[in-house]
Amino acid sequence: MTWHYWPYRITLSVAAVLLFNQSVFAGQFLGGSYPSLATHRENATYAGIAVLAAGIAAIAIRWPGKGPWWPIAATFGLFGLIALQIVLGFLRLLEIHIPLGVSIIVLAVLLLFWAWRKRPADIEVAR
Amino acid sequence: MSPLSRRGFIGLVAGAGAAAGVGVPLLSGIAGAASTGVALTSQLPLPRPFTVPLTLPPVLRPTRSDADGDHYEITQRAASVEILPGLRTTIWGYNGIFPGPTIESTSGRPAIVHHTNQLPVPVVVHLHGGHTPEDSDGYPTDFILPGNGFNPVMPDMPGMAPDPLAKITTGERTYTFPLAQRATALWYHDHRMAFTGASVWRGLAGFHLIRDAEENALPLPRGARELPLLIADRAFNADGSLRYPSKDPSLLMLPGVEQQYTGGVLADVILVNGRPWPVANVDRARYRLRLLNASNARRYQLTLDPPPPGGNAFTQIGSDGGLLTAPVPHEAIEMAPAERFDVIVDFGRYPPGTEVVLANGFGSGSTGVVMKFLVGSATGDPSRIPDTLSTITPLDPAHADVTRDFHFADAGDQSGWYINGQPYSPTNIAAAPKLGSTEVWRLVADFAHPIHLHLVHFQVLSRGLKGPGEYDRGWKDVIDLRPAEEATIIARFDDHPGRFVFHCHNLEHEDMAMMGNFRVS
Repeated sequence: MTWHYWPYRITLSVAAVLLFNQSVFAGQFLGGSYPSLATHRENATYAGIAVLAAGIAAIAIRWPGKGPWWPIAATFGLFGLIALQIVLGFLRLLEIHIPLGVSIIVLAVLLLFWAWRKRPADIEVAR
Repeated sequence: MSPLSRRGFIGLVAGAGAAAGVGVPLLSGIAGAASTGVALTSQLPLPRPFTVPLTLPPVLRPTRSDADGDHYEITQRAASVEILPGLRTTIWGYNGIFPGPTIESTSGRPAIVHHTNQLPVPVVVHLHGGHTPEDSDGYPTDFILPGNGFNPVMPDMPGMAPDPLAKITTGERTYTFPLAQRATALWYHDHRMAFTGASVWRGLAGFHLIRDAEENALPLPRGARELPLLIADRAFNADGSLRYPSKDPSLLMLPGVEQQYTGGVLADVILVNGRPWPVANVDRARYRLRLLNASNARRYQLTLDPPPPGGNAFTQIGSDGGLLTAPVPHEAIEMAPAERFDVIVDFGRYPPGTEVVLANGFGSGSTGVVMKFLVGSATGDPSRIPDTLSTITPLDPAHADVTRDFHFADAGDQSGWYINGQPYSPTNIAAAPKLGSTEVWRLVADFAHPIHLHLVHFQVLSRGLKGPGEYDRGWKDVIDLRPAEEATIIARFDDHPGRFVFHCHNLEHEDMAMMGNFRVS
């Protein structure tokens, strides 16, 4: 079985969970829980690192996996959006921060669906 | 294993991991937070609740009364008192007691209070809710320095520049409160710039009740059946001393609290009139409770356990600024810091011997209870609650001269709190209402911010897309702005010209710069 998708699947799954949890912690501090603001800030860093790791893992899909190259660009692009998102959060530009946050989670989940899709390679090897 | 089921198994593991990764933080925070703050835990075993008797602060007698008003003497000093059974606690008190002595005044008759400062730090006295001229309102830089004249110069930081308008005295100061206002429960407390939270924590707070003819004419419970209740949470060190996360325990140089407590300090011991979870013996009769939340950051949802037969545990007759137009029944009373609620509880509805706990729905464990009432057998109750209490003329936003927006929010890095992106500075005037003008202020909060205006009382016009909340009735001087909430208030700035502050009454927020000036001219 080809292994080339697995690092990406695993790192991106972790990243997607951390990214979704940003909405959980945001909801908590908007609900009045002060410590959740610090958690929201720290978790942003972890989510960013996880997406960075997924971007590196995406390289294996192309080399040596001979798969598409665009997941590398897409994942590093997602990391760029997260960096911007963190800046917007500190600037309290919530008018952009919240819709961008929703967009980041949507993009991460779309990538996740693509990553976990059944691959011909998986099935061939299994046969 | 078939390939599909292997994929299915992996998918199941991944799905379970994702569900746990999201679900655990989601569910652990699902209860939300009633108070904005961080828990501060006492370093000793907490005493059992309901073991010490409730006491009432003594009523201060005037040293003399003349044509100018009633004259009072108060000495601010440290004292060693017993708060927790068997332990000594050093407090800072007005006349060495916590709460300070209650002052009872008659509307329109000035109270002239001479304060002597025997504490090792500067102090400032503010009469909360008083319609007081500038020079006696306790502006945060109008220090009474200690008797030795020591004026600590704080390190160079934003908002800490010397205030050119400060009126500083040494050792003593006389405050004149005209009290040309409706009957209500005011309270006086320390208001020193950047150290209010710590000073009030140590005990600098007391009641100042105003009576008037209108209220006296009502057949409300009075005398021994009127209980002023100052509710405040505190934490203690192992030796019984008060525990508070000041950056500088001398309270002289470095303001504020340790970074992690920027959100506010929430302690685990609930004091009522300085007693931990006390017990009060009551007759089977109506009682008038003058509730004051004197906590730094804690919000309360007070209920009676068991609830009285038929419900409606509390009948609210007044708020921050005095009597409502008519009594309002409540199952619970929600109180933000500095708010007052004037409520009637009819213990005659309980059988003799009932133990009624004043509980706190916003607390848990030690903070879930406040005090206990033991219902006796004595009856006989001349009091009643009239259907009509007073008159309040609604202020009309259509006639407002100015509408202003104020945004109360974290400084951005959790180091402090700003209003409209600005930290407090004595020289920065955020609003300049004309004397006699009416203004609408639109207030927006990120976390819970109980917003207090000096000088005036206001009316709440709306919360979010709705009208005023359940606890916004009457004349207010604090609005309990909840997290991510927007509210509008209306006020007439008609009493005195001068520079006054408005601020968040979460005292850690106030000390860490969530305060602004308005100048009436």
